[in-house]
Amino acid sequence: MTMHDSNGVGRRSFLKGAAAAGGMAVVTGPMLSRVALGQTRGGTLRAALLGFGVVNTLDPQKAGLNSDFFVLNTMFNTLVKFDGNMKIVPDLAESWTNPNPTTYEFKLRKGVKFHDGNEMTSDDVKFTIERVAAEATKSPNRAKFTVIDKIETPDKYTVRFITKQPFVPLLSFFTNTTTGAQIISRKALEKMGDEAFAKAPVGTGAFKFKEWKPGEKIGFVAHKEYFEKGLPYLDAVDIPLIPEEPSGITAILGGQIDIASTAPFADVPKLQQDPNITVSKTPGLNFRFVALNIQKPPFDDVHFRRALSLATNREAIVAAALFGEGSPMWGATPPAISWAFEKKPRELCVFNPERAKAELAKSKYKAGTEASVITWGSSWWKRWTEIFVAQVNQVLGVKFTIEVTEANTAFSRFRANDIQAETTGWIARVEADEYVPECFRTGGPRNFNQYSNPEVDKLVDASRVEFDQAKRGELLKKAEDLVVEDMPCIFTMNNNAHNMWTKKVKGFVPLPSQSFGNQFPPVSLG
Amino acid sequence: MGFLWYLTIRIGGALATVAVGSFLIFLIMKLAPGDPALAVLGESATPETIAAYHKEFGLDEPILVQFGIWAKMVLQGDLGKSIALAGKFPIKDLLATRLPITLFIGMYGLVIAVVISLIAGTAAALRHGKLTDTVATSIAVLGISMPDFWFSYVLILAFALSLDWFPSYGFTAPGESWIGAFHSGFLPALAIAAPMAGVFARILRASLLETARREYVTAARSYGFAAPFVFVHYVFRNAVIPFVTVLGLQVRYLLGGVVIIERVFGISGMGSLMVDAAFARDYPVVQACALTFLVGVLFVNLLVDIVCALLDPRRTR
Repeated sequence: MTMHDSNGVGRRSFLKGAAAAGGMAVVTGPMLSRVALGQTRGGTLRAALLGFGVVNTLDPQKAGLNSDFFVLNTMFNTLVKFDGNMKIVPDLAESWTNPNPTTYEFKLRKGVKFHDGNEMTSDDVKFTIERVAAEATKSPNRAKFTVIDKIETPDKYTVRFITKQPFVPLLSFFTNTTTGAQIISRKALEKMGDEAFAKAPVGTGAFKFKEWKPGEKIGFVAHKEYFEKGLPYLDAVDIPLIPEEPSGITAILGGQIDIASTAPFADVPKLQQDPNITVSKTPGLNFRFVALNIQKPPFDDVHFRRALSLATNREAIVAAALFGEGSPMWGATPPAISWAFEKKPRELCVFNPERAKAELAKSKYKAGTEASVITWGSSWWKRWTEIFVAQVNQVLGVKFTIEVTEANTAFSRFRANDIQAETTGWIARVEADEYVPECFRTGGPRNFNQYSNPEVDKLVDASRVEFDQAKRGELLKKAEDLVVEDMPCIFTMNNNAHNMWTKKVKGFVPLPSQSFGNQFPPVSLG
Repeated sequence: MGFLWYLTIRIGGALATVAVGSFLIFLIMKLAPGDPALAVLGESATPETIAAYHKEFGLDEPILVQFGIWAKMVLQGDLGKSIALAGKFPIKDLLATRLPITLFIGMYGLVIAVVISLIAGTAAALRHGKLTDTVATSIAVLGISMPDFWFSYVLILAFALSLDWFPSYGFTAPGESWIGAFHSGFLPALAIAAPMAGVFARILRASLLETARREYVTAARSYGFAAPFVFVHYVFRNAVIPFVTVLGLQVRYLLGGVVIIERVFGISGMGSLMVDAAFARDYPVVQACALTFLVGVLFVNLLVDIVCALLDPRRTR
């Protein structure tokens, strides 16, 4: 599979080479690349948030929507961050260590200035993480940090997190993801109060808040005292919200926007042929599946569930619903998290009509069994559901039907396990623990159909205290093997992540999470 | 006195409609499945944070109590704050930026529709049964039957992406630049106008033809009045009454039905606000939009009745 178009790869390997040759990555890296790429200063980047009509809050510790974080990452930094290769690299912290299994120690960059002029210190970091974990904040991400017992600040530039028990995934939750760990200015928050801060927040990012027109756009201007010297190149960034994906295409073709957070699957091949547009493509951080209510007939029978999985032709679904922009899945962990991804297809997730019929014969449910599959009215979701239902009806002779609703209803019913079956999925999750462990461990926060297997729980628990990434990956894969045997859902596919931008835009490096806000500092217009 | 009494009755009826309408919309929204907490807290929401959210916005109260709180607030002139769409923005501020944009685009579209339909409808009626009539009538049918999102993209492809006369996306609010508003608003206004112009032209044509067959028109002709004089004073003036009535009815479409066009062209108007709010279960915003629409439609209908009454030659002669 093509990981990136040739431009992207070329630019990225060049940047790496430049940094390595310079040996002084922070100061000279951007300068070198600027010279080499011929980047110019100034201008306003119009970066469209495509497919979203709502940004709800600009307070990182209260934010819950992916769209919120797309915008927030423009204004904020985190202790560490994921780069384009899914490696954790420094951001506000220069280095970090685990002196013992229950301690994370971060050394902070010196002289980092907030947009209000105050220096960012360990006190702000402590304040931020305590705030997201506090019950009173009502953060949807609170549970990610409740493992922290206490936070120590031995000096202005050192922060120490002491956890109640060893918990390896914690490091990922301190990154530029959707967990609300974006470091805020304590002084600004205390001065402004929660409600005012949520509408005009103060961070350390390369761009500071300028204006917010709800449902329309959010505007930023360059932060002159940004800690990476010489950056950002741009004077300003505007993030318009474009809910309709086809309108994103007309907007970028007509020059009304410069870059977009995604590209509609069906349009990717055509856009790639356009000499004025660059489309990046990488396996995305997502997991698409058919959720099943395993507590009630007919999905309470493992043989019936296996029969459905074997009757599902995933390649056909990827080709028709995603226009080839994805790959079949035989587990929950996406390929982008390569160290925990099982590369070999699991047999129970490979289309095999004969074996499907054999499993059905072992099941207490037979051909003619009825069930309703919920989906919602957006085009490719519905198409996926139609193909899935047609496939299982044809191969197994079952009588599945489709119930179309809208997103909020579908999600509410999925959470409440008030379904028979539903096509759904998780997106923009950067940490392996957010897949198999959170979705399938007994009592997991997103284990909505109450699946439980003590062996899976043991392996998951072991993975959470294993600091060796390779060994941790093996434990997670073993847990996933067992989950797939039990088939608590129909693992279906992973879709590619795209960003698209015009030829004017230089220096943009896409992330598999598609969250582009972090990536604007080295971007220029020409 | 008769007219004032009529007006009082009409306004009283309109207020009652607003009250009943608001309650029905409130009830329907609340009875629909879904939860604003999920629209706000996203995928990571836990039962505890959802419960805390419900408590914060009084969503754990019985439905009637919630309606009572809302109605009391509105009667005191406060529309409240957004709960899911745009973190706690005052709704009156949202409406203050959105409503003028929708009104501008709507009026722009209406004017284009009226101009096109007056020309096409009159031409078709005057050249009844001739080629002009066939062409005008066919275009009208096309205008009515084209799906508006499709026609919008056709306009964008032709006039923005190929000819580069207009922007392909986005709208400059009149508050920023009037010229910009007329320029960037032309294609969406045309997209809004197309189906309306089709309806108006056909109504006007039919009405003109019907009126021309009336006995008083024959009588006027028999007096030897010139044909243009008869047309303007006897035919057109009478025929235009149903036209104005239909025009008033179309205001509903202008306020709420232009959602697709607002989305396609990137116009942040009332239509997309209400749809976003409904999807996010932002009850107070949906209520405020519905209230605005109700008042708007009732006001325009009232206005149409008054205009029609004034247009009636029997009243002014």
